[in-house]
Amino acid sequence: MEDKKLQFLKNQYLNTPIPEELDFIVKKSIEDGGTHKMKRNKLFKRVSVSIASIAAAAAILIVGINTSPAFASTLEKIPFVGSIVKVLTFREYTLEEERFKADIKVPSIEGLENKELQNSLNEKYIAENKKLYEEFMADMEEAREKGGYLGVDSGYEVKTDTDRILSIGRYVLKIAGSSSTEIKYDTIDKKEGILITLPSLFKDDSYIEIISENIKDQMRERMKKEEGVSYWIDQELEYGEPFDKISANQNFYITAEGKLVISFDRAEVAPGYMGVQEFEIPTEVINDILVSNEYIK
Amino acid sequence: MLLLKNNSLEDQIAEYAVKYKENFYRLAYSYVKNTDDALDIVQESVYKAISSTRTLKNPDYIKTWFYRIVVNTSLDFLRKQRKSVAVGDEVLASFDFGASDDYEDFDLQKALDNLPDKYRTIVILRYFEDLKIEEIAEILNENTNTVKTRLYKSLEKLRIKLSDYEEV
Repeated sequence: MEDKKLQFLKNQYLNTPIPEELDFIVKKSIEDGGTHKMKRNKLFKRVSVSIASIAAAAAILIVGINTSPAFASTLEKIPFVGSIVKVLTFREYTLEEERFKADIKVPSIEGLENKELQNSLNEKYIAENKKLYEEFMADMEEAREKGGYLGVDSGYEVKTDTDRILSIGRYVLKIAGSSSTEIKYDTIDKKEGILITLPSLFKDDSYIEIISENIKDQMRERMKKEEGVSYWIDQELEYGEPFDKISANQNFYITAEGKLVISFDRAEVAPGYMGVQEFEIPTEVINDILVSNEYIK
Repeated sequence: MLLLKNNSLEDQIAEYAVKYKENFYRLAYSYVKNTDDALDIVQESVYKAISSTRTLKNPDYIKTWFYRIVVNTSLDFLRKQRKSVAVGDEVLASFDFGASDDYEDFDLQKALDNLPDKYRTIVILRYFEDLKIEEIAEILNENTNTVKTRLYKSLEKLRIKLSDYEEV
């Protein structure tokens, strides 16, 4: 190929950056290929976490503990970073081998005035990830002998960060025989220093019924509109029960616009390939039963 | 390798997928232009390949067969995506080869990106992946003359003059 233009284009093409996950994904796909014919979710959901003011960059502790076999759980002191509430990566554990891949990030909330709440949340995050880490290590030991691929990816995503509200989601993605995704949310009133629960938003527990009905309507609407969209309602299921209603403490977060969003884990209300499902509840549907319009507008 | 216990067709496919994963990724990326979607396409292509082994009748065709899966998966992906976008097939069909502008080197990449998929695919497979015209015809399920015609038109549009047309 003598032409300069073609050579230039070819070079550009060959310079396409190859992501490091590629090898793992291909091998994992080969392993699953024979048994799973359904379209799979993204194996590795990329979450870009923006830390609003990065003045505290020095305080982000990324402690690679590859060298230490135990998941150290002592809390490092983080320098005082002012009254701004932030979510930082407290710890990151990564492991990469041919057949095993782990990326565990532990979030840490800083700057809340209510230290008790802050500590209890941060301890919860450490405990969750410690458990995840231990499970992974145990599974890996087993898989070393028996063969197979294993992956775990956990981290966090700040869904909302306004003057008032902080909604932080922690996701866990496990890849073993099949993959699963879970996301859990905590929503905090930064000003009052309180953790907002779903029941606390409403006058009584009629919200369960009202929100569930609205979600079912939205599910039917989505199924009508889009091909390939399926929810476990209005149908007989081979396994398990169809979606009836949300749990009293269903996962939720509040958007920056003050809308309530209800979230379901992968395969909770829909086939696994649909991934994590979210439903924004129109405020007019729940306005009459809200305690106030302080958070939900 | 762990997975290759014997030399069955499925193992050959697996081996091929591992060996050419970067080629498949680059090809997928050329359609979707982002990492996440390109990875999804590679993932799905490998699933499809492994689970539809029986459609590969002759192992000699594994190369074109695999490329075809990647191309079709990419195109399917774009089709689904375009459903929600105003630009449809009509706009692409109306692509006009009549006008040709002067492209600076700077714009050359853009000119390639702007080619309709079925033209750009041929350029990529021929010159970047170094496949033969016959192989490309096989992949795209077109006859060799159609492939050649589209390749000439693409080169024309890119204002690329090969010293020797035999190279096509």
